Amino acid sequence: MARVGVFVCFCGANIADFVDVNEVVEETKKIKDVKFAINYKYMCSDPGQGLIKQAIIENKLTSVVVAACSPRMHEKTFRRAISEAGLNPFLLEIANIREHSSWVHQKDKKSATAKSCDLVRMAVAKSIANEQLHEISVPVTKRALVIGGGIAGIQAALDIADAHIPVVLVEKSPSIGGRMAQLDETFPTLDCSQCILTPRMVDVATHPYIELIPYSEVVGLDGYVGNYKVQIKKKASYVNFSSCTGCGACSQKCPVKVPNEFNLGHDKRKAIYSPFPQAVPNKPVIDAEHCLMLTKGKCGICKKTCEKGSIDYDMKDEIIEREVGAVVVATGYELYDASPYEEYGVGRFKDVISSLEFERMVSASGPTGGTPIRPSDGEIPKNVVFIKCVGSRDEAKGIEYCLKNMLHVHCKARHAATS
Amino acid sequence: MKKLTYFPGCSAHGTSEEFDHTLKLVMKSLEVELDEIPDWNCCGATSAHVMTENLALALPLRNLVLAETLHNDTMGIACASCYARHKVTKYELDKDPVLAKKINTTIDDGTYHGSVEVKSMLQFVYEDIGIEKIKSLVKKPLTGLKVACYYGCLLTRPKAITQFDSPEYPMSMDRIMEALGATAVPFDFKTECCGASFSISSSDVVLSLSGKILEYAKASGADMIVVACPLCQSNLDMRQPGVEKLFHVKLNLPVMYFTQLLALAFGHDQKDLMLGKHIVPVEKALAKIGKEPEKKEEIKSKKTVESEEAK
Repeated sequence: MARVGVFVCFCGANIADFVDVNEVVEETKKIKDVKFAINYKYMCSDPGQGLIKQAIIENKLTSVVVAACSPRMHEKTFRRAISEAGLNPFLLEIANIREHSSWVHQKDKKSATAKSCDLVRMAVAKSIANEQLHEISVPVTKRALVIGGGIAGIQAALDIADAHIPVVLVEKSPSIGGRMAQLDETFPTLDCSQCILTPRMVDVATHPYIELIPYSEVVGLDGYVGNYKVQIKKKASYVNFSSCTGCGACSQKCPVKVPNEFNLGHDKRKAIYSPFPQAVPNKPVIDAEHCLMLTKGKCGICKKTCEKGSIDYDMKDEIIEREVGAVVVATGYELYDASPYEEYGVGRFKDVISSLEFERMVSASGPTGGTPIRPSDGEIPKNVVFIKCVGSRDEAKGIEYCLKNMLHVHCKARHAATS
Repeated sequence: MKKLTYFPGCSAHGTSEEFDHTLKLVMKSLEVELDEIPDWNCCGATSAHVMTENLALALPLRNLVLAETLHNDTMGIACASCYARHKVTKYELDKDPVLAKKINTTIDDGTYHGSVEVKSMLQFVYEDIGIEKIKSLVKKPLTGLKVACYYGCLLTRPKAITQFDSPEYPMSMDRIMEALGATAVPFDFKTECCGASFSISSSDVVLSLSGKILEYAKASGADMIVVACPLCQSNLDMRQPGVEKLFHVKLNLPVMYFTQLLALAFGHDQKDLMLGKHIVPVEKALAKIGKEPEKKEEIKSKKTVESEEAK
């Protein structure tokens, strides 16, 4: 048989001025399972908590409802109070008659009182159904997984590792650095992007608490809170990273040229390549899709060139497993494909490019060495038009939400174009 | 022989007779039999849908119900405005069966089932006939003719309802023209508003809106504008002398229906195109057919290719 106690708080004038707290008590007393109901000026104060404890013992209460402020404010306070009187702390239920009633219905005391009574009735019903819960301790694997080696993943990994917790950092491309490595300057300070990023990349590679797993992807994760097993696919790089010195002779001799993703196709890279000179780790990988040896079985120039014998055409993808207690997802963003916007000339004119393509052009490390050029004829443009927010808030053919930082991108690009 | 239910709309029997006439010539060449809906009525046009939703849906609904009695799977509509009204009606009623039932009670010509697909004639030619078939029927290629394809506001919009081509930069008519051998120039005003029915109430609005379209088409290097909408044709053609006066320009830009050019390319006699209906004379532009187009642009692009190779 449930025996519920209800404690209605005035919260000074916060509740009592707009809710008839006496009526709430009288109404509450009519509920069958309520054996005790009372109101008090400050229920969270020491005398208020004492009132609750005393009532629990004297009336042999089986659950407690406190009608007061939001549970975010004092749920913990009242849980502790009832446990001190011998009740399981999870048998407490809060009826939020302050934020949900008195504060929002200040012009209508009658309705606010009626609503408060309803909130209390609901809390009483729920408190009767509540079960005792007991806190347990679970061991947590002291190792974190960070997915993504962009600036967010790099900083997360460094912060965790600096606290002496081991980190597994998984990056899908051959090097960490992410989008920031492609940027020329940061907004709004116009600092050199590389100068902020590259030292941190080196920190990651040399940190004793960070295990960097490049050219790999997370393919599976199972387990429970604090105890996960993660499966990581190490993509075949066809280069033995432990013996490779990163001298770059293989890339120089490779006869295959393909569009360079890092510069969004505005120049070429080789089939065995490192994405950019400051890459970490600075080891090349073979692009199996374009390598002549791997596609046609003839060539083998890189293997002949490599003095360390690091090239291994027979390398296979490999699944490795790690145990971690926490996961940080820092997978970054993809560039929005603006091809539905023919009205802006996307796809129709070579000289309509994306902001990231422009960023690469104005970057000192970019395909044009820092000069924006027109892809159609290689000339320096006299005028540059910026189209902001392409695809933004366009339910018909774009993205329904606001892209939010287009203005920053535009301001920065404008500065780059004029300087 | 393929059969297509045909809804001409009021303009096809009046101001855009040449559209209706050449459409029939084209369909003959394409071996498509046009089944005109018996006793069809006005679509309601702008007047109905700005006044009452019920009437705006009931008028096209009656035509859709009558179309179902012909047992063809598709209904082709010549006029862009009629197309928009019928397409919107079908969209609204197919989405909401309760509304369909309610509107259905206002007519006594039968029950609506939603079994007939609604397409503009442009969409029918582009999707159901296809570019390959068109190419195979060309007897007189329109080589040397540069056209600016103008779609207006209704043929591809709103996208959720029309489900056809791009709402901002459509290319279907351009591709049809290219298939006939003509050159479709890049034309950024292809879906700008011509002023539509304000032609009657505030013709100054139409002069300014249509004027911009005409000027841009001229600047694009086109010999003529090609359209698939009777009101667009009438505004761009009939209002052109007014535009020339207002903007102090000489345009002399004929405005033809895409069906007229299809008919011409399919080998029908130029005399059969009802060219006498045009305000701006067409003959001079058509005389360019068969002559080599100016190759300025191509020479330039060739140069670029060479310089790229040199690099």
